[in-house]
Amino acid sequence: MLAEWMIILVRSLLMFVILLVFLRMAGSKQISQMTYSDFVIGIATGAIAALISLNLITNLAYGLLGLAFWLLLPLLVNYLSLKSKMFHDLVYGNQTILIKHGKVLEDNLKKVRYTGEELLSQLRRKNVFNIANVEFAVMEPNGDVSVLLKPEETPITPKQLEWKVPVAGEPQTVILDGNIVDEGLRNQGLNRSWLQSELDKQGLSVENIFIGQVDSAGDLYVDLFDDAIQVPQPTTKALVYATLKKCEADLELYALATSQQQVKQGYQQAAEQLSEVIAELRPQLRR
Amino acid sequence: MTVGSQVKQTQASLKGVKATLDLYALQSANEEEKQLYERNSKKVASVLNFLEQRVAQLEFEEPQYKGF
Repeated sequence: MLAEWMIILVRSLLMFVILLVFLRMAGSKQISQMTYSDFVIGIATGAIAALISLNLITNLAYGLLGLAFWLLLPLLVNYLSLKSKMFHDLVYGNQTILIKHGKVLEDNLKKVRYTGEELLSQLRRKNVFNIANVEFAVMEPNGDVSVLLKPEETPITPKQLEWKVPVAGEPQTVILDGNIVDEGLRNQGLNRSWLQSELDKQGLSVENIFIGQVDSAGDLYVDLFDDAIQVPQPTTKALVYATLKKCEADLELYALATSQQQVKQGYQQAAEQLSEVIAELRPQLRR
Repeated sequence: MTVGSQVKQTQASLKGVKATLDLYALQSANEEEKQLYERNSKKVASVLNFLEQRVAQLEFEEPQYKGF
């Protein structure tokens, strides 16, 4: 017969493995996103697992049966709620509209048992202090209040201002903790010898770099372990921009200096062309 | 400094700019960004073409400064 402590040890290990596997399967919802039913299920499974592992439920088969029920039922409910919207609303609740067209819907407020004071406090959490700025507010199933501001109160975007914004892909991390990350280099279509030549330009070695990132145009930004060392930041883009501006000014100067009408026009056209280039590249080169 | 050498200097800096733009166009992984650089590199190339003609003309007019 095994000693009691050994049984507890083995059972605990078993429970740990089972819970770990099931939690991985249940998906990666954060605790803050857990609904009330998730919470209850979590406590129930935890309690059963603890009871089994401490040998308080002596019949292992019954214990596992109970645990399996609590673990599998949520998966089934999850599956059904993915398939059917009605079922989903039944289990997880539906969102409730609290403010519509700028008017508070008192009946719905009562339904979710909210007082006016609580609504205001939730709005303040969203940085809305003036209820007159709210066009639409809705309470999510998990109790969060989402707010849509009136169009004139929403933060301005470059699109509204018709600004050009730089087009760029995501930057790739190529050095982490002094090691070269080959995956990042591959994603950008670069290789180790490119990185080596880039580092040689800045006079650095891989071992001294904590983080190295390449932006979509291929400029390398590095952060060193030793913060006392000043690293020259990539200035190629700023230089290109400045040079373009200088060339444009030069061309205009030549246009003024020459007395030949035809040549003057040629210079002016060239200057105009450069200023188009500058306008188009400005968002790209000045970041 | 003669006009010829000034124009040559502008031509040289612009060549550098074009080379960098071409490099960015090659390196960029984003298709839109690539095209943006390629398009502007072409515009710069046409300006360079004009400057080249000017330099040839100036060297013809002032052969004593040729090469400066």
